[in-house]
Amino acid sequence: MPTGAMIATRFMELRKRRGLMIALILVNIGIPTVFLLVRLLAHAFAPKSYGPAGGYDVYTGLCTGVLYVFGFIVAATLGCSAGSVDLTEGMFRHLVVTGRSRLALYLARIPAGLAIIVPLVAAGFTIVCAVCVFAAPTRLNYDGVNVPAGLSRAGFESWAGNHPDIVICDFPYNGPGLPNVPCGPNGPVVNVPPGSQGLAQITPSQLKAAALLIARQDYSGYATQFLYPSDSLMVKTGLWIELEALIGLIVGLGLASLLGQRTVAVILMIVLEIILTPIFSRAHIPHLLNLQRSVVGVAMAHLTPSGLPVFGGGGGGPGGGQGNPLLVPESTTVAVCVVVAWLVAWTVLGAWRMMTRDA
Amino acid sequence: MSTTTVPDISHNQAAQSRWAVETHGLTKRFGENVAMNGVELLVPRGCAFGYLGPNGAGKTTLIRVLLGLTHADAGTMSLLGYPVPKHRDLALARVGAIVDEPRFHGHLSGRENLQILAAAREPAARDRIESSLERVGLLHRADDKVSKYSMGMRQRLGVAACLIGDPELLILDEPMNGLDPAGMAEMRDMIVSLVAEGCTVVLSSHLLDEVERTCDAVAIVDRGKVIRQGPISELLAGASLALQVECSEPDRARSLLEGSTIGAHIEVGPLGLGITLPAGTAREVIAEINRILVEGGISVYRLQEIQASLESWFLQVTSRLGAPE
Repeated sequence: MPTGAMIATRFMELRKRRGLMIALILVNIGIPTVFLLVRLLAHAFAPKSYGPAGGYDVYTGLCTGVLYVFGFIVAATLGCSAGSVDLTEGMFRHLVVTGRSRLALYLARIPAGLAIIVPLVAAGFTIVCAVCVFAAPTRLNYDGVNVPAGLSRAGFESWAGNHPDIVICDFPYNGPGLPNVPCGPNGPVVNVPPGSQGLAQITPSQLKAAALLIARQDYSGYATQFLYPSDSLMVKTGLWIELEALIGLIVGLGLASLLGQRTVAVILMIVLEIILTPIFSRAHIPHLLNLQRSVVGVAMAHLTPSGLPVFGGGGGGPGGGQGNPLLVPESTTVAVCVVVAWLVAWTVLGAWRMMTRDA
Repeated sequence: MSTTTVPDISHNQAAQSRWAVETHGLTKRFGENVAMNGVELLVPRGCAFGYLGPNGAGKTTLIRVLLGLTHADAGTMSLLGYPVPKHRDLALARVGAIVDEPRFHGHLSGRENLQILAAAREPAARDRIESSLERVGLLHRADDKVSKYSMGMRQRLGVAACLIGDPELLILDEPMNGLDPAGMAEMRDMIVSLVAEGCTVVLSSHLLDEVERTCDAVAIVDRGKVIRQGPISELLAGASLALQVECSEPDRARSLLEGSTIGAHIEVGPLGLGITLPAGTAREVIAEINRILVEGGISVYRLQEIQASLESWFLQVTSRLGAPE
């Protein structure tokens, strides 16, 4: 097994790659920070034109669209570097000649890489969480309408009954039972001109009843809307993003060790994340379903915490990975097994190649 | 690898082994090309040992196999008495080596590179970093990035990397590469001092003059086989005897000698006669040559025995110069 000194010096070797570290920090911390900074400034100088910088929607968008993807790519790049530089820079044979087992030399790279990537991903995620919580909007925007946040079902219906004009004309509704009420620029047109065909006079009580009907149907959608992410969602998201980074590091390390070079390995990792995973997640190919399920990105999509949209866009709502109709079906147990299998398999492959390679 | 079963070995047994390096029937193929063909090599402990051979003879391949950088296809070997690959970890713990051009992480300093290598060795290795850097004369540049080092400085850093393991056996592949004359002299002195401290140094080199000045014993490898090995003095004693004769009428002198029974190969050159006598020729033959010339009326101005050098001997014994195997 690798010693603490081996891990520490490997950590030093990776950390002192200035260009690599700057690139990793820029991608993983710089991009979300600049994005949020621009939003903060825009909202500060023109609050009527630009909404608050943070909030739930910004959080879900940044976590799924930026931190999750870039965390993987950053970790994969680091893993590919750790897996190949000894070989390409001629240090591998020096290390082999020490007599230390090649397996230990390989395994030392994993904690060293994690010691860099975990804080890096955590830093980017913390910035996003902080801005999204502390710069969240004060009122909830539901379907373009400002609605008080955190209402119970009764509270939501009560609010709807007090604002029937907005609810009837601006909230979505799909079902029978609504009176035929045209909406004008100022809400429902209740005073129908004499002679209008098919339109009846609407009383205020009828308007309120219609608003309550709509509110009952829309509550489930409203209830998924938050001003800012909950603590439990942030914890789950953080762990999910860190797990994705761990996968990127381990697979990148193994692949680079297998290939003996960094560039091709990094390209393959990016292709896996950006191109193959979205395709395999959504294309239902009957004869290849099991193959699709065995792709780690598909498994990770199924492990998306409830409250986040699935990576890759295309709708599906913020219901997380499980039961998402857009995804190739896969149980949570299978998804966990796939992730574990990828971590183990790539570690074994990388270590095997390192142990058998001519130095 | 078709090695024989190797028994476990204790430290004491290993320490009692007479040989620092011992190989039997070591073979390594790269496809159809046989890089090592049943190499039999015995390197005694506590000496500087030269491993010589023309390009492509298999010198570096042997070193790589010994160090576990690549595997052998057949044969057995041991380092410092430990059978390898079975006890490679024990053997290499006391071995330092430079193979090919020494390369390091260019973005790290020399000291940091040594810290990485020391971390892979026993804890005491970290305490030897400063002394190793000082010994190779790199202490004042130890905190510079290796990318700024010259070839010679990297070579010295490679030696320092060997020294942090407190080696009993040092294997150096072309250690004089990239060194200026002063650096070569320092390297030579360092090798001599290491040997004086009890270390065994095996070095492969093309620089026969350097090997002759540095090493006590050599092995000649050609086409993957060790064709000669032993102490340099003993090997050179087996070389042919060369004489240079400056005299009047060289052509007539040549005829006189060719007509005699001394069995020499004679050439006429600008400096006179060049006479080559077979290895093992008695010294009385030199006097006989002088007598034949004088009695034939030839004036002999100078008769000099040319000391056999490692280079001339090397050229005699290697078959590289166009001769088919």
